[in-house]
Amino acid sequence: MRNRPVLFVVALAVVAAACGGSDGDSGDSGSSGIRISGSSTVEPISATNAQKFNSANPDVAISVEGPGTGDGFKLFCAGDTDISDASRPIKDSEAEACADAGVDYVELMVAIDGLSVVTSTENSAVECLGNEDLYALLGPESIGFDSWSDADALGAELGATHAPYPAAELTVTGPGEESGTYDSFVELVLEDIADERDEDAVTRPDYVASANDNVIVEGIAGSPTSLGWVGYAFYINNADRLRAIAVEGDAGCVAPTPETIADGSYPIARPLYIYVNTAKAAANPAIVDYVDFYLSDDGLASVDETGYVRLADYSSTRSAWAGR
Amino acid sequence: MGRPVSRRHSIAEAAHGGRGLSASVMLAGDPRRRRKEARVRGFLFAAAAATVLVGVAIVLALIGEAWNFVTQVEFSKLWSLGWFPRRDFFDVRTIVLGTIIIAGIAMVVATPLGLGAAIYLSEYASPRTRRILKPIVEILAGIPSVVLGYFALTWISPNVVQRLFTANTFNMAAAGIGVGVLVTPLVAAVTEDALRAVPVSLREASYGLGARRGETVRKVVLPAAVSGIVAALILGVSRAIGETMVVAMAAGATGGSLLQLNPLEPGQTMTAAMTALAIGSDQVAGSGLAFQSLFFVGLLLFAMTLILNVIGDRFVRRVREKY
Amino acid sequence: MTADTTTPTRIAVAAKLQGRRVGWGESAFQLATLIGLLLSLGVLVALLADIVAGAWSVVTTRGADFVSTPISLSADTAGVLNGIIGSVLLTIVVAVVAIPLGIAAAVYLEEYAADTRPTRFIQTNVRNLAGVPSIVYGLLGLGVIVRLVTALGAGGSANGRNIIAGGLTLAVLVLPIVVITTSEALRAVPAGIREAAYGVGATQWEVTRHQVLPAALPAILTGTVLTLARAFGETAPLLLVGAATGFFATGGQGLMEQLSGTYTALPVVVYSWSRQPDGAFRDELAPAAILVLLVLLLAANAAAIIIRNRSERKW
Repeated sequence: MRNRPVLFVVALAVVAAACGGSDGDSGDSGSSGIRISGSSTVEPISATNAQKFNSANPDVAISVEGPGTGDGFKLFCAGDTDISDASRPIKDSEAEACADAGVDYVELMVAIDGLSVVTSTENSAVECLGNEDLYALLGPESIGFDSWSDADALGAELGATHAPYPAAELTVTGPGEESGTYDSFVELVLEDIADERDEDAVTRPDYVASANDNVIVEGIAGSPTSLGWVGYAFYINNADRLRAIAVEGDAGCVAPTPETIADGSYPIARPLYIYVNTAKAAANPAIVDYVDFYLSDDGLASVDETGYVRLADYSSTRSAWAGR
Repeated sequence: MGRPVSRRHSIAEAAHGGRGLSASVMLAGDPRRRRKEARVRGFLFAAAAATVLVGVAIVLALIGEAWNFVTQVEFSKLWSLGWFPRRDFFDVRTIVLGTIIIAGIAMVVATPLGLGAAIYLSEYASPRTRRILKPIVEILAGIPSVVLGYFALTWISPNVVQRLFTANTFNMAAAGIGVGVLVTPLVAAVTEDALRAVPVSLREASYGLGARRGETVRKVVLPAAVSGIVAALILGVSRAIGETMVVAMAAGATGGSLLQLNPLEPGQTMTAAMTALAIGSDQVAGSGLAFQSLFFVGLLLFAMTLILNVIGDRFVRRVREKY
Repeated sequence: MTADTTTPTRIAVAAKLQGRRVGWGESAFQLATLIGLLLSLGVLVALLADIVAGAWSVVTTRGADFVSTPISLSADTAGVLNGIIGSVLLTIVVAVVAIPLGIAAAVYLEEYAADTRPTRFIQTNVRNLAGVPSIVYGLLGLGVIVRLVTALGAGGSANGRNIIAGGLTLAVLVLPIVVITTSEALRAVPAGIREAAYGVGATQWEVTRHQVLPAALPAILTGTVLTLARAFGETAPLLLVGAATGFFATGGQGLMEQLSGTYTALPVVVYSWSRQPDGAFRDELAPAAILVLLVLLLAANAAAIIIRNRSERKW
């Protein structure tokens, strides 16, 4: 009994020393891993490709996160990540940040997403909404509207085609400002009207904003008179609990489907991108291999598999990549 | 904590005319042994000092960024609309009240459960029952909070809260109950310590006067242990305020939240607001007001729990000193 | 003081002398405390039943495969291997850093330090640190440790948000607990043992090393195992120190690259799976991961109890 404790302490010290030793030995061996972050909308495509790529190249470490497009660019322009997923093009301010940090990149359009305006499957009162309606219900001037009908006056003022609205509780759930889906919604739906009316191009702040997909699904499915917006793949993968509201454009009310998104008749479709750090790609062949795979037929199959819509033609994407 | 140390060594001290180095000087005059003693002592002191360093590092890390936040934020933004850090609305009320609501619900759950368990185990249970049941309560204490968060979201919310009320799947009530379950073993443990600290002689005196067990417990033991019970509740509140995962998983509003006082709706606490921020944009250290607000909230939380812990500690020591 | 203790007694005596009968309130009170206890235990049963029920299909169809396969996007093949590896590595970092440091600090406070103002300050400081919410330690990790690790060149491909930083953060988190449990263990060693050793001319370190520490070791070990279990189950600080919640593969990395690269931990896997709207991840894989976590923690607890029972000593 008397010696055992001492042995234990010695063993502990040996373990400590061994760990300390190995720290010194291996040192810095230039990592060949791939770090991808950015849009949670694009994350499923990049992650599916990462998984496929990993099974063919098991030696390459690879990680895919989805904190949001804006957050992704922050990391990307700080040189923290190799590839940034984005559900909108890079903003001027972000491009400046990248330039200041000396991060050169190439922009690759990889898929199309139909921004889907969603409600609960129990909601049968609202079939279609136009941009004016969405502005009245979700725009910067809708702060404090707890009921759909609170937006009646604003809708009428805007000439919204679907006002007045039902006198029912309005619970709004959607992605937060870190998300490219938020930015796209503002850009495609709210911005023009907001500019005309001299308002900030933002949504109302008083809604449940979440980067947690589960919270968004529960929030929208949980109330029969909910309203929110998500990416198309997100909607279609949860179609048993969410219902997409048709969006009114030049061609009338169009519901999001792969066909309407691909042919452009769905009014609020948007391209999805990946941004690749060219210097890191030049230094790390694994990144090149991964992007090559991404743009191959196998890689692009992930676009369909995850519920998004392929571009009609990838030649400009491929030539952008080839000419990096 | 300090006093018993000196009492224990009193004989050695008396014999050697002091402690530590002076003791070895007297008994171990060999300079090599003395040098070794000094080295060991220095190393041990450095280790103890390191714990202080940790405290200092926490405070400095929090204060630095929190100060940047306080000097840059518009004060009106600290008191309007809700908690939307990415849009520069930092309504402190939203997260503080959310924290208080959830901690309140937690204590409504943990107080009867924790006190009941402690009183029963300490006063009524037979030694055999106690030997079996007490470790089970301790197992509850060892369950990670992420597990209770999952339980609060997938079981408490649908089977308790939504069965009794019409509520959102994510709601503050379920999170509060989950936190309460988490806090229960702590309340039970501190209470039981306090009850056990009440001398047997008090109980015996009471029995000797013909009082029954129930009477003895209620009129003698509980009043004698009251400061320990108060301590248990205060420490429980402190733990409830600082709990993160249960709230982050079950209370819902992760990104931003309006001021919400209805416990059946999603809500935001200080801790959940911090995780929501840290998982999102603020992976990039040191940029923007939202990142700094993280440390501001952290400082606020640190101060709140510190005050509660210091008060709770006072009460704990009152029990120790009394008997 | 004396008044305090006799007052209740006096009330009881008075009540007795007045001949009041014990009402139904007495048994109702006992019943209430019993209900409190049973509810606490009932919650545990409900929790375990919920987890096991959810995990059942994964346990039966996947079995050991679930713990030996890495994270995957498809629910059929996703496993918790990365989480287990990450958690084990984190726990090793915690053990290597926090245990020697915590034990040394406790030895200083209990065996060496005089009862002076600075000593008491350190003791108070340790007690208060033990009560600091874990998320605040996460902020310390994010604001200080990640930067420190990067500055020391151990940031690796994860820019400091790696196992080393996560492990150090958890080490700092459990340090005060190690100090407190070790202090309690040392205090339980009777003074007679020390005095006898001093009596035969041992120096203070010799007394501590050859007598006090061995005598206190079982209790220290028990406390240590429980502390490591606590670190193993901790989630919130790791989220702040950048544990991955998305897909990742470690590839052919060596140990050092794994320590400094992207990582996750078992509790973080539970968290990220439970956030998925996809039913299979949230309703089946998350409870299965929880089951793995609980089994590992239970094993640690059982080990601690066995150590305690095998070496129980009465002075």
